[in-house]
Amino acid sequence: MSFLPFAHALVARQDLPVPAWLFAWGASIVLIASFFALAAAWRKPRFEEARWRPLGAGLSRTLVSRPVQVLCALVGVFLLGVAIYSGLRGTEAPDRNFALTFLYVTAWLGFPFFSAFLGDIFRPFNPWRAVGRAAGAGFRAIAGQRPAHLTYPEKLGRWPAAVGLLAMVWLEIVYGSSGGVAVGLDPHAAATAALVYSGYTLAMMALFGTEVWCARGEVFSVYFGMFSQLGCFAVESGKLGRRRPLAAATHWATLPGSAAVVIASIATTSFDGGQGGAFKSAIESTFHWFADRGVDLTTSLRLTDTIFMLLCFAGVGLVYALGVRGMRTIRGAPSLATLRAGFAHSLIPIALAYLVAHYFSLFVFQEQAQFTYLLSDPLGTAHTDLFGTASGGIDFRLVSATTIWYVQVGALVVGHVLGLTLAHDRALVYWPNYRDASRSQYWMLAVMVAFTCFGLYLLSAGNG
Amino acid sequence: MKNSTKAAFACLAALAIAVGLAACGGSSDETNEATNGGVTRPAEGPESASMGGKVPTIVIRNGEPVGGIKQLEYNAGDEIRFEVKSDIAEEVHVHGYDLMQDVPAGGTVSFDFPAEIEGIFEAELEGRKEQIAEITVNP
Repeated sequence: MSFLPFAHALVARQDLPVPAWLFAWGASIVLIASFFALAAAWRKPRFEEARWRPLGAGLSRTLVSRPVQVLCALVGVFLLGVAIYSGLRGTEAPDRNFALTFLYVTAWLGFPFFSAFLGDIFRPFNPWRAVGRAAGAGFRAIAGQRPAHLTYPEKLGRWPAAVGLLAMVWLEIVYGSSGGVAVGLDPHAAATAALVYSGYTLAMMALFGTEVWCARGEVFSVYFGMFSQLGCFAVESGKLGRRRPLAAATHWATLPGSAAVVIASIATTSFDGGQGGAFKSAIESTFHWFADRGVDLTTSLRLTDTIFMLLCFAGVGLVYALGVRGMRTIRGAPSLATLRAGFAHSLIPIALAYLVAHYFSLFVFQEQAQFTYLLSDPLGTAHTDLFGTASGGIDFRLVSATTIWYVQVGALVVGHVLGLTLAHDRALVYWPNYRDASRSQYWMLAVMVAFTCFGLYLLSAGNG
Repeated sequence: MKNSTKAAFACLAALAIAVGLAACGGSSDETNEATNGGVTRPAEGPESASMGGKVPTIVIRNGEPVGGIKQLEYNAGDEIRFEVKSDIAEEVHVHGYDLMQDVPAGGTVSFDFPAEIEGIFEAELEGRKEQIAEITVNP
């Protein structure tokens, strides 16, 4: 008999399902908060302006100075290099190789978590932007003029990033789960993917310009940048400053395809959270349907997982589209396209809440590995000890299961409230009449309640 | 109330109820526990080795656990005890607790350790990456 390889290669410990009593509390708080939101007090938009103010000149000038920029860029390129080198030359055991934990845990989860508070901290470290800028500067020095770029087809907007985001997660949790055993993505494949992605990104930057591509197609810039809109620091005209939290998000979804990015984020997290629990039996029967028709096991599994991931994307998109359609029925509503783009940013807190709910424990535990043995022995040779921490490891007692439950449910509730706040605020922009604005928000409320309760359900269905 | 308002309320209520029902249906079987002297223990289903008496044995035949992956459930602070009886020589690895023991062909190894990490953990045959047990430790 063969078992489905659901377990994550890096994960030696899985979260316990959220117990029924906590689910009930979480859902009740969400509903009560929602009814309060219906009677929300403010009647004028409050988040449309970020109210950016520069920090003290000394600090601001130092942090965004040329040497600091160069230093950050070098750190970024160096770390990407270490990850690729470890992946190619190091051990094939995913949990002992620097590459997987660094790429898929430290960077992939760390940047969203911290950007949501601090602002866009990925941008200065972005290795591809660094190479692109250096190449541009080199070109100018030699040719004496700016490189000529193609005009980016603006209709495409952020769609390349949305597709790239799906591909990124697909590589890790669909392609990675191969062969009927719990292996996960092997470090060699991850490093190869990073190389291919680097080549693709640098080519696109050469074609369309570094900053143009970073804002639209570069998956990591767009994805981390989305969460950074919630954060409270930003660089404007060469100065570092503070801004109102959440507020920058209101002007994020101005490019086409932005809604697809945030929907892809919620969908991929849902799929990963549900594949071992909520969707398990459906996935198993689809898998057997393929396997019974002579498709080999690995292909059957990848095919099944791909279908379910795309179904998640379609499902999340459909719920949002229904909410948008509903709002369109309110007197004085702007066009469907305006509404669709206009409320996309209100889903960013939900996407963040899903990430925290599903990966908080993984992040806390796996970062202990990152800063102990993976740092001192990146190749996993067992002979290297660069910083004397190679014998360290993960202490799973650091955070109790009960704490993890509270963090998970708390994140969903807070994300729900922040999402409602942004949606209500945006409605006040589109409907000058307060009563119409509130009425339109019954629809977004339904959308948010659906996402949050679904998130709670995924947690309570667990991985077993 | 306007018609659209009524429709919105109806949709919201229906959604909330549907999601609530789905979730209760999904989780009730897992949380169906009987309380016994202040200690919560699973009423049925997973084997509760902590209740004393027989130590559960996982029998390995042809490199696979007989009867599928063994479900073992404990509360934090319990003593986790089980045996692995195998017809092939292998290494048994309990993830999370990171315990390894060799079992010779035709032999048996016993595990006995305190349940001090909460969560869900795999035990597998390290050589062939075959999961043989799922160990759940509740808080």
